[in-house]
Amino acid sequence: MGELGPDEGAENTYSLRPGLQHRFKSSTVKECIRAILKEKLANVQYIPEEMPELTKSLSETIKDRLKEEGFDRYKMVVQVVIGEQRGEGVNMAARCFWDADTDSCAHHVFMNDSLFCVVAAFGCFYY
Amino acid sequence: MDEFQTGEEASFLVDEVSSIIKEAIEGAIGGNAYQHSKVNQWTTSVVEQTLSQLTKLGKPFKYIVTCVIMQKNGAGLHTASSCFWDNSSDGTCTVRWENKTMYCIVSAFGLAI
Repeated sequence: MGELGPDEGAENTYSLRPGLQHRFKSSTVKECIRAILKEKLANVQYIPEEMPELTKSLSETIKDRLKEEGFDRYKMVVQVVIGEQRGEGVNMAARCFWDADTDSCAHHVFMNDSLFCVVAAFGCFYY
Repeated sequence: MDEFQTGEEASFLVDEVSSIIKEAIEGAIGGNAYQHSKVNQWTTSVVEQTLSQLTKLGKPFKYIVTCVIMQKNGAGLHTASSCFWDNSSDGTCTVRWENKTMYCIVSAFGLAI
């Protein structure tokens, strides 16, 4: 049949669902996010000039960390929102249209005196 | 042997999604001023309306829609997102909307099955 397939090593697993160990577990992911935020935002003040860089780098860091966790065949989206604490009202909501059996999300809110940070991570299984 | 090609229906069209989001925002919070008691209901309705319109498109996609509504009081807000996916088939669209009393930022992500 000729040469098919991207690599020689990748074999067809014929699996349509992730195994129990490989699911995008909310609790594991939330823990990762919490640890990263605690480390990166511990004493950070809200400085408008630095925030764009910080949000981008935070989302990249968290995404890379989740890749290392080894969620096979999962597509991931990480969204980071950082805002200044000035007593304003903020509300955030998310809805997803996916396969509830395989896909999941995790979120965490970090607050210190000058800023708040919300991270939402979503994982969708790629069939 | 039939050739199954990815037709136009199976791509994430940013303009189309952007207009769906704008309509949903206008419909839910169009002429309103920020009210703490209603904001929960507003974010929910923006997100649900957007999602239901997106699913009506009938494309083979999984969708994630998020919405942030923030009262205007001089504070700053930054959002960033990072995605691990297939660039050729998946896409995202973010719409920023504001009126005199609040900001609304809606992000929609579409991941091909």
